[in-house]
Amino acid sequence: MTRISLHVNGTAVERDVEPRTSLADFLRESCALTATHLGCEHGACGACTVLVDGMIARSCLKFAVMCEGREVVTLEGLADDALSDTIKQAFHESHALQCGFCTPGMLMAARDLLSRNPIPSEDQVRAALAGHICRCTGYSGIVHAIILASRRLIPVE
Amino acid sequence: MSGDAHSSGGWIGASLLRKEDARHLAGKAMFVADVRLPGLQDIAFVRSQIAHGRIVSMAKPAGAESRVFTIADFPSLHVLEAGPELDAFRQSPYPALASDKVRYVGQAMAACVAPTRALAEDLAELVQVDCSELPAVVDAIAAMSPGSARLFESWADNAYITRTISAGDLSRLKDAPIRLRRKFRMNRQATVSLETRGVVAHWDARLEELVVYLSTQGGHVMRLGLARALGLPENQIRVIAPDVGGGFGGKNRLLPEEIAVCAIALKVGHPVRWIEDRREHLLASVHCRDHHYDLIVSADSEGHLLGIEGDVHIDAGAYALWPTGSFMEASMAAGNLPGPYRIKALSVNTFTVATNKAPMGPYRGVARPGACFAIERLVDEVALHMGIEPYELRKRNLVTREEMPYNTVAGLKLDTGDYHDALDTAAAMVDIPAVRRRQAERKPGEPRIGVGFAVYTEQSGHGVVEWSKRKSRVVPGYESANVRMLPDGSVTIHVGVQNHGQGHETTLAQIAAHELSLDPSQIRIRYGDTATTPFGFGSFASRSIVFAGGAVGTTTRRLAEKIRLIGAHFLQADPKDVRIENGHVISQSGSVAFSEIALAANIRQEMLPQGMDPLLDMTGTYEPTESAGVFSYGTHAVVVEVDEATGGVKILDYAVSEDCGTMINPMIVDGQVQGGISQGIGTGLYEEIPFNAEGQPLATTFADYMMPCATEIPTVRIAHSVTPAKVTEYGVKGVGEGGAIAPPAALANAVADAFRDCKASFNETPLTPRRVWDAVQIARAGAAS
Amino acid sequence: MKPSPFDYARPASLDLALATMAEHADSASLIAGGQSLVPLLNLRMAPSELIVDISRLLELREIRDLGDRVFLGAGLTHAMFEDGVAPDPGNGLMRKTAENIAYRAIRCHGTIGGSVAMADPAADWPAVLLALGAVAILRSEGAERRVTMNDLLVGTYETSLHQGEIIVGFEIAKLPPTARTSYIKFNKKVGAFATSLAVAVHGETTRVVIAGAGSRARILRKTSEALATGADAIACIGGDLDEIMSEPDAYLRQLHVTTITRAIGEVLGA
Ligand SMILES: Cc1cc2nc3c(=O)[nH]c(=O)nc-3n(C[C@H](O)[C@H](O)[C@H](O)COP(=O)(O)OP(=O)(O)OC[C@H]3O[C@@H](n4cnc5c(N)ncnc54)[C@H](O)[C@@H]3O)c2cc1C
Ligand code: FES
Ligand code: FES
Repeated sequence: MTRISLHVNGTAVERDVEPRTSLADFLRESCALTATHLGCEHGACGACTVLVDGMIARSCLKFAVMCEGREVVTLEGLADDALSDTIKQAFHESHALQCGFCTPGMLMAARDLLSRNPIPSEDQVRAALAGHICRCTGYSGIVHAIILASRRLIPVE
Repeated sequence: MSGDAHSSGGWIGASLLRKEDARHLAGKAMFVADVRLPGLQDIAFVRSQIAHGRIVSMAKPAGAESRVFTIADFPSLHVLEAGPELDAFRQSPYPALASDKVRYVGQAMAACVAPTRALAEDLAELVQVDCSELPAVVDAIAAMSPGSARLFESWADNAYITRTISAGDLSRLKDAPIRLRRKFRMNRQATVSLETRGVVAHWDARLEELVVYLSTQGGHVMRLGLARALGLPENQIRVIAPDVGGGFGGKNRLLPEEIAVCAIALKVGHPVRWIEDRREHLLASVHCRDHHYDLIVSADSEGHLLGIEGDVHIDAGAYALWPTGSFMEASMAAGNLPGPYRIKALSVNTFTVATNKAPMGPYRGVARPGACFAIERLVDEVALHMGIEPYELRKRNLVTREEMPYNTVAGLKLDTGDYHDALDTAAAMVDIPAVRRRQAERKPGEPRIGVGFAVYTEQSGHGVVEWSKRKSRVVPGYESANVRMLPDGSVTIHVGVQNHGQGHETTLAQIAAHELSLDPSQIRIRYGDTATTPFGFGSFASRSIVFAGGAVGTTTRRLAEKIRLIGAHFLQADPKDVRIENGHVISQSGSVAFSEIALAANIRQEMLPQGMDPLLDMTGTYEPTESAGVFSYGTHAVVVEVDEATGGVKILDYAVSEDCGTMINPMIVDGQVQGGISQGIGTGLYEEIPFNAEGQPLATTFADYMMPCATEIPTVRIAHSVTPAKVTEYGVKGVGEGGAIAPPAALANAVADAFRDCKASFNETPLTPRRVWDAVQIARAGAAS
Repeated sequence: MKPSPFDYARPASLDLALATMAEHADSASLIAGGQSLVPLLNLRMAPSELIVDISRLLELREIRDLGDRVFLGAGLTHAMFEDGVAPDPGNGLMRKTAENIAYRAIRCHGTIGGSVAMADPAADWPAVLLALGAVAILRSEGAERRVTMNDLLVGTYETSLHQGEIIVGFEIAKLPPTARTSYIKFNKKVGAFATSLAVAVHGETTRVVIAGAGSRARILRKTSEALATGADAIACIGGDLDEIMSEPDAYLRQLHVTTITRAIGEVLGA
């Protein structure tokens, strides 16, 4: 076991972990933050996407010990985030989720895209969603939602 | 009495935003892997590394004997009989953990329990397994040759069942002016719900019951299977399906791991959990498709299709899954070969074959994607042979509106709709002449363009008649609903179907809102817990809106009637002079709120009309007035660009014209269509689990198993027409599967269209770049020689 | 899908990391972005007793302008190239490459050095660095050596790195503004490894590289020469591929010919 301390959703957290514990398992099992989902555990589905020091990361591809001192944000940590609120509302209105299992990762990817590129083209939205698997929706609602959110954030006259 | 879809309230047909979204968007959903119980430990399975072998020995690691389980630890577990109830269907006993033999790579052999999954996997690595390898059976057709190794020694050959389906006048076919023989193959894939399977189980000592959190499409039926396997009475098992992250058929069978986890929970005295990982999912969850067709289509000189003859092999894998196995694949594949066409003769030998691969189960569209692929490709091949537009050939053969109801040669009753209109609409959407112009203007070196069509029907809402005909062990002939109005006038409805993305919390509330003239926000739909919901079969086979929608509608209607009677009593009016509106019973002189009525019915019995029973609490079952099913249908039209040099296929336009009867919530219908098509495109272009000659699967992670993403799946343009069904409530038909049925056929036809000049055939899915390129080379080589 | 147990160390400096690697020569693995290593660990396909984390070493993130060349630290992430945070001596080639590797979340953490050390036969950076004529700077305890990309790449997941050696970075000559580059990747879906990747750099020096065709990225010798001298480069592709491709595979061969031809077409401005 190794003792680590880091910030999770703004709160200082100190825990003993096995070095082999992924950040995802750490969040889910040690921090009881289950919005972060595991769909593949090899970096290919995006369901486990979180922010580490402001950059999106697949939490199945990081060990918790590697995140010592870092700032980790999960979907639970975006409850009062205006950008996320706009995106979530757009997801709701665009029927961008069915079973909801991919949704946390999709929201993370969407937020990351819009914070880097506030007015993405449809192609850019799709490219940002590559590697995020949704088995249910066929993606069109998700793509629509992100474009809708973008318009609401930066209205074009 | 049938509800009139257009009378009042406006809730039926409204694109109401979904009630289930909020918790998912907040990250507060609860899937099985999110269930937390004190003392929970994880399970990892030891799995077979070989495709076929006899188990010589299995040794538990020293010191860990009490944490490692083999089948020998469960002498009283029952092996369930599975497959249709037909003597001709051979039994393939499938133990919860392998007993004497292993029959596919990935079969569970032992289970290891430890405080974390990582530790359980450590333990699993230490279990010593010794198997003597047997020859692997990997090709479903070769498996039927007399010399083939056999999976089950007691069987005479490797077929679970062999059947010939023969109907109509076959004598005319031999001399038909056009006779084309083609082979088709739809390869094996996985269902790939994004949430994998999962079980959390524990013994509740207070209630003396086994509580099983299960990611399933139908908890009640799973409880029945678990009870039989474990030898427990059903009233001592509670199955809870919390949020379920997709199923698509794969979670509609009881798999051995699920039984094993429950058996372990009964032994160890603390909660246990198994969450399938993605490799396990691709190795050993439900596999699907894997159809082989060898068919001859006959047509007269005007292109009227006369008949289909040939063989269909279904590579069903090593075991039949409880309850029904994959027997339906063969009969449905054969039965759907005539499609929506006026084909008058059918003679198909079907073979459901056991191979050393993971067992096959249902996947969205069950058998029909394969059948649709075969018939729709055949239609295009006949058109190519005749030198006419495939669109034109379809027009000549599609059943017309006037001919409905039409009994197909395979015995399906196509009830309502306008297939020609669907085809015309889709054709107009993609603009065939424009595609032809672009093709003519193409310069050498530029990518090729092709347009393809596929027409499909989707049998939905089929009940007793159809499932008994199929000799199903479980006959999902009805659904149930319990509707309760609580003292304050709010409504809770419990149903036996299982929402796993379909939006039942919203659509069923819309139906109840329609009947009660109440806002859907005051109605809560609950499901997924055998302790609280009435018996139901679950969500599959495009049945929920027909059956559960019907059950909710008819039961709520009865409740509304009682409310009306009480209201009339309150208002001292004649019951026929009052109506319900907006949470009130209204007469000419006054109105009374549901809340007052509900209060009386629940806690102020003395206020009720004389002799009336208390409570506003009704349970009802529903089945459509005819149970052969109602057919949704549509046409998919796709325009593709093919890079001849790489074989790469890009979708330029995808248009659908469909009719699923009355739409309760058009937004959700569109979501089902788009989502189904996405899966169909996966089947058509990307997803495949190939096997090598030793029976080793070659796609066990997403590095090799290609899942299409937003960069691969276009937004589909959807046109609806609405022909209400005659035998269901509100005129609804199912819509869950249709999207997944037609895409492989439409895509292959589009690619073939792009290569019309060299008459290349694209008869195997997925159409990977390599397959596309190979098909063109073969055609060119053929033309040259 | 959880890894076997291992110990973890995060040395505070490159020297300490080298010392740790020297001490645990055959039982330790370096981890940089972890974007290739962790999937293997999760699948228990690359067991390791000690994981040495070099992801925070600033020495590996250095960027130095050396006049006609640039030094790029091995720890620079794909996203840094994509975002233009790291310079691109390849006139846009490196940026384009980075954009086409995997997905954004992976690009934010995966490193150029990790990609080269991993030596996946279809990976992007080895091919591009080979085409740019990069020289890798390798350090071990008390020693440093410079190795050309051609000598560094050996085979499938195999490099000439010594045990315990760390790639510190790459020296890459700045392409003159007139030089032209091309990057043609064919993969089964966006973000997946290439089935065929052709890279061409055409300037004072000319190199055409193919990845996905053999056990490692390779320069197409005759093709490159022909392109450099204005001869018929396309005609040389087949011969070069015959030397590179281990197994005859008509489809792949044709695919490689296609990507290479297109890459050549692009640098010739067709
Ligand atoms: C889903 C997915 C898709 C991908 N698609 C692509 C793709 O299309 N193209 C592509 O090129 N890559 C792709 N990758 C791989 C990705 O680019 C990785 O980031 C990269 O290959 C490895 O970099 P890393 O820093 O993450 O290395 P790590 O995973 O940390 O390490 C990889 C290996 O390199 C060693 N190593 C790391 N750094 C050094 C160093 N400085 N010196 C010596 N040895 C070192 C490690 O010990 C390990 O053996 C993909 C990965 C995933 C998960
Ligand atoms: S679980 Fe991390 S990418 Fe799939
Ligand atoms: S909504 Fe089910 S996976 Fe995306």
